Formats: sequence, structure tokens, C-alpha cells
Amino acid sequence: MKYTYFPGCSQETTAFNYDRSARAVMKALDHELVDLPDWNCCGATGADVMSDLLSFALPARNLAKAQALGDQIVTICSACYLNLFRVNSHLAGDATLQENLNKVLGEVNLHYEGDVRVRHLLELLVTDIGVKAIAQRASRRLGGIRVAPYYGCLVVRPYSEFDGPDLPVSMDRVLTALGATVVPYAMKTRCCGGVLMTTRKEIGVKLVGDLLAPIRDVDCVVTVCPLCQLNLEAYQREAARVVGAPVSVPVLYFTQLIGLAFGLPEGELKLTANLVGTDRLMKRLQQASGWV
Amino acid sequence: MPVRSFNLTREMLDHSFAETVAPDREKLLTCIQCGTCTASCPTAYAMDYTPRQLWRLIQVGLRDEALHSQTFWLCTNCYSCTIRCPRGIALTETMAALKRLAIAENVKNREKEDISSFYRAFMTTIRRHGRNHEAEFLARYYLSTNPLAALKFARMGLALFLKGRVPLLPKEPQNKQEIETIFRASLALDQAKEAHA
Repeated sequence: MKYTYFPGCSQETTAFNYDRSARAVMKALDHELVDLPDWNCCGATGADVMSDLLSFALPARNLAKAQALGDQIVTICSACYLNLFRVNSHLAGDATLQENLNKVLGEVNLHYEGDVRVRHLLELLVTDIGVKAIAQRASRRLGGIRVAPYYGCLVVRPYSEFDGPDLPVSMDRVLTALGATVVPYAMKTRCCGGVLMTTRKEIGVKLVGDLLAPIRDVDCVVTVCPLCQLNLEAYQREAARVVGAPVSVPVLYFTQLIGLAFGLPEGELKLTANLVGTDRLMKRLQQASGWV
Repeated sequence: MPVRSFNLTREMLDHSFAETVAPDREKLLTCIQCGTCTASCPTAYAMDYTPRQLWRLIQVGLRDEALHSQTFWLCTNCYSCTIRCPRGIALTETMAALKRLAIAENVKNREKEDISSFYRAFMTTIRRHGRNHEAEFLARYYLSTNPLAALKFARMGLALFLKGRVPLLPKEPQNKQEIETIFRASLALDQAKEAHA
């Protein structure tokens, strides 16, 4: 099936490895992510600081354009997911917003009433495709490698559409079915610091350290959000001070690890774009699963 | 961080403040000060007022004290407080409303100067290109605050660049001019609303 895909800005830049691995995994499952033409930034965490109405209008332009292509839109970024989802959620009970938003959209000949279903790829994988089908597509097992599942915030909060807001399990289920040992991880939805890593680095490093401290015996961390991934892998040197020990753990997108289990070439999954090297992880996988 | 002490006078109170700032004023006024928000907040440890204390300032109408707090600038939008609040108050959206008001009223303090510059640099970049262009956005931010602070990120920036994760040229939607129209129309309606209120 073809799904309308909202890439989001990070997926063209700092998280192009997320984008490529997501497309590769969907292709391996005989589905296709088709880019929404002419898409724009969802506003990230900045639009609502400038204007409440703008924080709805920016994502709504994308939703209005998506209507021509179908009744749903898929994204892999947690912030894009939140901002798109939030439009539908607020439009439902707010006549004033409906009026003002459509005044703005009318200026570019668009109209939107909240009818496009917003989906995160994780939700689509566990809901539409199913854990069983994903496990059946795998050409090799993950051999019990130890994985810490990190969800971050916005994929499950505040719209806990498909999983719990504190201790979600959907990604755990997928990775377990593929043969990984998913370790219990109480910090799986604690904030990575988001943009504070840039504006107040000492706070960002503390939060990342708090996330990395309890998982020192894992082979990799797996994430579903481009900013979480960057914060978790790029500041391990600084976070070591918080942890009290050196830290060097690969941080993969969940689509990269699924892709490895599908036997997709490392080049398609863009593992070399990750900052923390995955050589040790690959060796562990080869030993544990008899991969060649 | 210690909270400064002051003598409370009647003149300091603005009883319509909750209405100005809270998307759902009625609910904010029902806050029972249980502190679940503060206990859930990953950055409360670094704030002057904890989230719970901030809601109290708003309830009683201590407008200036609330607007000069660094609390809402350190909110990361993680929504932990929002989903746990037993009163169902839209706390994260109230934090955003406080940011907007502090900018509109030109509040002076370090957090506001720094962090609002970050968001301004981001939104300027989005307005120009329709999508984020990381290199331009961060250049704008550091040039508007402390260019030397960029050095703290130089090693990481270079590593990302070498991995092909920071393109030099912006990527843009085909109909980029529509983004400027959307910015202008949204901000104009905001102003009309303010003039009306």
C-alpha cells in the first residue's frame, strides 16, 4: 500500500539515516512512503512561542494538502507527529479556531476541517502491519542483543493514541519479536532535554546523563525521534561526567534495527551516518546470531 | 535557585492575569497545589519557581513575578505534567502562553533574552525557507546571542557535517511564498484579537 508521508525537516538533514531506513523497512514490507508534495515545517517547538494561531496554521497547511492524496498521513518524527495530531485534536471542539485557521488557509486557497488521520510510523507498524508480520519478514534474528527502548516524549504525550504515556510497550514488542532482549527501562519516556541542549547545555547534558546512567550494559539504545537520537548520541562524552563512567553506546533508530533483522544492506540503513560507531554492535549480532 | 523575597502589596496583584495567560483559566484556578507537575518535571531542579509555585503565582495574580520567572523558559514541552495533572489543566500550553506574553511585554532577564532568541532565529529561518535550515538557524542564534558559545558545539557540528547530516544549502517547498502568506495572515489575526481584547 502507498502511504502519504510527511518527512519533516530533520529527516532531510540531521536524521536522513532515519528517513532512509524507514523507507527501506516499509519497502521490504511491500509498502511505500510517498512524500507529500510541497510540504513545510510543522513549527517544531518554536511556532507556539511566536503565535498560537501560527502553531496550528503551519502544520494544517500540510494536512490540507494531504487531503488530495488520501485520508491519512504518516510521519516518523515525534514533534511532527505531535504538531499534526494537535491540529485535529484542537479543531474538534473549537469553532473559533476552525474559523481563524481557515481564514489563514484561505489566503493560500486551502481549507481544513480535521479529517486527515495522523499516524506515527511506530503506530502504523504495530497496528496495521502487526508484530507478527514484521517478525515473519525478518530474515535473521537479533540473537538476544540487549536493547534499551527509548521513546522520548511526544510520540506518547500528550496524545497517548496507541500506547501508554509513561511506560509504552509497542516498540518493545516489535524488537522482542525480532529476537532482541529488551531491557526494563524506567526512563524510556523521560525527556532528553530537547532544545535545551543548545540553549542551556548544562541542563541538557544532565538530562542525557540521567537517561544513559541506568543502561550501561546494553548493546544499543533504540529511538523513534530525531532530536532524541541526536541528543543521546552526540553528548555522551559530556554526559560521562553525570554518569560517573565513560559512555559509548550506539543509538539507533528503530527502523535501522528492524532493517538489520530484515537483512537489509547496511548502506540502505545508513548506519555509517550514526556518530557512535556500530562495529561492536555488528560483531555482537554476528556472534549471537551466526550472521555472516 | 533561591526565590527572592518581597513585601506583598495590593498593587502587585492583577486578578485578570490567569485569564490572560491560561488557555483554560477556569481549570487553572482549580489547581490544588499537589505538586505532581513539579515532581514530574525533568527541569524543575534548575528553575527559580517550580511549576507548582508558578501556578500559584498566576492564581493569586502576581503577574510581574510570574512573567519574570525563568520557569517557563526552561520548559522542554515534554508534557509530563500535563498528562499527570489530576485537574486536567493544559499546563504545557500555559507555559507556551507565558513565553508569548513575556516576549510581547519585552520582559528583561537572561533566560528570556537567550531562549527567545533561539526561537526567533528558528522561526526567521522557517519563514524564509519554509523548512528548517540547520546551518542558517544556528548561525542566526549564535550571532544574536553569544557567538563564542558556538565553540561548545564545534566538534559535534563538524562530526555531523562530515557524516552528511548538515547540508549547506536549504531545502524548500515548491510554493515557498505560501509560507510567508501564512505567517502574515496568522500574525495579523493575532493582532486583531489583541486589539479587540
